[in-house]
Amino acid sequence: MLWVEKYRPKTFKEVLGNTKAKKEIEDWISNWKNGIPQKPILLVGPPGTGKTTMAHLIAKQFSDSIELNASDKRSYAVIKNTVGEASSTKSLFESESSEELKIIILDEVDGIHGTKDHGGTRAINKIITEGKHPLILAANDFYSKRLTTIKTKTKTIKIPKLRSNSIGAFLKRICRQEGIEFDEDVIKELSKQSNGDLRSAINDLQVMAQTKDYLTMEDIKIIGLKDSRSTIFDSVRTVLKSKSIDKIKKAMILEEDPTYVLEFIAENVPREYEDSEEIKKAYDMISLADLNFGRARSSRNYSYWRYSSEFMGLGVALSKKDTYRKFSKYTGPGSFSLMGRTRKKKELRISVAKKMSEKLHISNSEAINEFPYMEIMFSNDRIAYKISSFLDLDDDEIKLFRKKKIPKKIIKEEMVKKVENNNSSSLESSSLNSVNVVSKISDIDDIENVSNLQKTKNNSKKKKRKVENKNSEKKKKSKQTSLFEF
Amino acid sequence: MSGPWVEKYRPNKLEDIIGQDQITNRLKKYVNEKSMPNLMFTGPAGVGKTTTALALAKSILGEYWRQNFLELNASDARGIDTVRNNIKNFCRLKPVGTPFRIIFLDEVDNMTKDAQHALRREMEMYTKTSSFILSCNYSSKIIDPIQSRCAIFRFTPVKGHEVIERLKYIAKEEDLDYDEPAIDSLVYFAEGDVRKAINILQASSAVDEKITEDSIHNIVSKAKPQDINKMINVALTGEFMEARNILREIMIMQGTSGEDIVNQIYQNVSRMAMDEKIKKETYIYLIESISETDFRIREGANPRIQLEALLTKFLAKN
Repeated sequence: MLWVEKYRPKTFKEVLGNTKAKKEIEDWISNWKNGIPQKPILLVGPPGTGKTTMAHLIAKQFSDSIELNASDKRSYAVIKNTVGEASSTKSLFESESSEELKIIILDEVDGIHGTKDHGGTRAINKIITEGKHPLILAANDFYSKRLTTIKTKTKTIKIPKLRSNSIGAFLKRICRQEGIEFDEDVIKELSKQSNGDLRSAINDLQVMAQTKDYLTMEDIKIIGLKDSRSTIFDSVRTVLKSKSIDKIKKAMILEEDPTYVLEFIAENVPREYEDSEEIKKAYDMISLADLNFGRARSSRNYSYWRYSSEFMGLGVALSKKDTYRKFSKYTGPGSFSLMGRTRKKKELRISVAKKMSEKLHISNSEAINEFPYMEIMFSNDRIAYKISSFLDLDDDEIKLFRKKKIPKKIIKEEMVKKVENNNSSSLESSSLNSVNVVSKISDIDDIENVSNLQKTKNNSKKKKRKVENKNSEKKKKSKQTSLFEF
Repeated sequence: MSGPWVEKYRPNKLEDIIGQDQITNRLKKYVNEKSMPNLMFTGPAGVGKTTTALALAKSILGEYWRQNFLELNASDARGIDTVRNNIKNFCRLKPVGTPFRIIFLDEVDNMTKDAQHALRREMEMYTKTSSFILSCNYSSKIIDPIQSRCAIFRFTPVKGHEVIERLKYIAKEEDLDYDEPAIDSLVYFAEGDVRKAINILQASSAVDEKITEDSIHNIVSKAKPQDINKMINVALTGEFMEARNILREIMIMQGTSGEDIVNQIYQNVSRMAMDEKIKKETYIYLIESISETDFRIREGANPRIQLEALLTKFLAKN
């Protein structure tokens, strides 16, 4: 029999640690028992800390319970049918006694699958708002997306990692009952390695004790490797803080994309190392690691990765003269968050570049190179208007080049000019656009103002006419040699 | 038609294109014959490759040029999918009202090798219905089979006096007030790139009533990417984190490519050496580091990480 089952607590009191959380849950039940409906509770904590155990033990104190966990399909229909029915019905003999309440346990809520469990979170939300029964939800990751809507409607109880002392004590009790002798150090190491996960500690103990009655540090090596699941922050800290080849090699065993780990280390090098020479050496190593990733990618020969791992681990670690005795605040890769923060602006740049490349027959990158000129040109209201209407830029896109909006007065004046140009050109040839532009102007403002403007513009109009006439004369002379399109 | 002058004053006819007479004269023969082989235009930016291609297409295809002309910028759509989908779909259709269709592929040197090989097949398969005009900055980046299928035309930087003539023409059309020396220095900065010259002219007309030498200098220095210079200076003072933030800003926010940044760093550093702002020994050490970074980026490493590593070489080198 699995020891995890054999030694699973039989009563709520037996559950290890978490006295505060236990108290909260007990209060919650007794309120239900007294006929006061409570918000559902959401137990959040790392695996092996007793969430499911607690939920089941509470359920035992009620007459009836229903559980759905990740092994069940949890689409909207399934949840609605199994839990929903139960949650909104009461037994035939309507009585207020708690005996009639069914407790509903939804385990591993954050593991609801996006597509396969279609509408799962929606169903849960519905049950939470409709349900008349006590509901216990359990999840590992408090920041999971699937929890965002659920979190607001529930009372969250955090179940923290168990302390290695209490895990050690529990392991010793098991050993005594199973008649196993041990070195003190073994239990200590085992509980430390378990990283607050009692279940894995018990499982490891059982594996070690399967063939032996006396446990030594030798035995721990069997399980040592498999269990070194450190977080990325732990690994980065080890690389930057330590110089021990042993520790660092272990720290580099991670279930993360190695290029991501490299970014993480690179980000934090200057946060830990203070000397320029050290930063330079460390970055030399980072550069080499990156180069090997590149080689692996382009040659599809992923054995290059092992060199990357050495360079970014031990290589970076040995770049420091001495280890720093200080607390440094590490962060995730800054370039990643910059990418997220600037996505909108970047999209804007690309949309403008696309419009430019279409109208100006240039590539996007060439268009971006011309942005500085555009900025200067856009400082002039009239030119800003002309270019933005030529490129068909919207207000947001104009903001990329100038902070202020183009004054309405300028827009109006420019539109009047356009009408004039079109009118005069329509003397020579037929123009289709003038009607459109006139109607546009009347949209923008009352016609009176426009006609006033037109009067004041009369002088310049006359000048323009002259130029136009000259041009038309030229045109007559040589039929098709107008050099440029106006 | 208003808007950017580069577009407003883009010549529509082959004979109006400046500085490339030898090329345009030969191209006119194709217009007369109403047929043309596949063409490749190579040369630096702003010397008229795109303009020539557009003018040629308009002359040959006449009033139906829009329906029978496909313009693709290969550096934005450089994958093999573009060749397989867009180009193939276009070539497959029969030309309407014209003897053949024209596909203009700009910046072909930015196409991947795979896509170039796919393109080579298309060029053969549709010779009866379509002609290609390819344009690139460096013909060396184009695979040989494509080069052998094209008549190659090499565009040269436009001569100073021709640029001056053009700028003066535009200034007259736009009623600009300007100094003679202003135009001279404009031509000097433009380095034979007419597009750049016209952009500077329009930008300075936006800022100043009268365009002087000073206003040209002002525009040129404003439009130059300052950030690289700033980044290097910050790194030289030993503030690595700050320099790294500037680099990320340039790469991520402005989307500048790693290769471009390497080029700019190289130019900046060599200018600093010329101005004796850094020691000769430091200079050659930095050049060594830059060359290694350049190489590694081309080898397929992550450009941002490599450039961050390059920045550390500048630390405490002041």
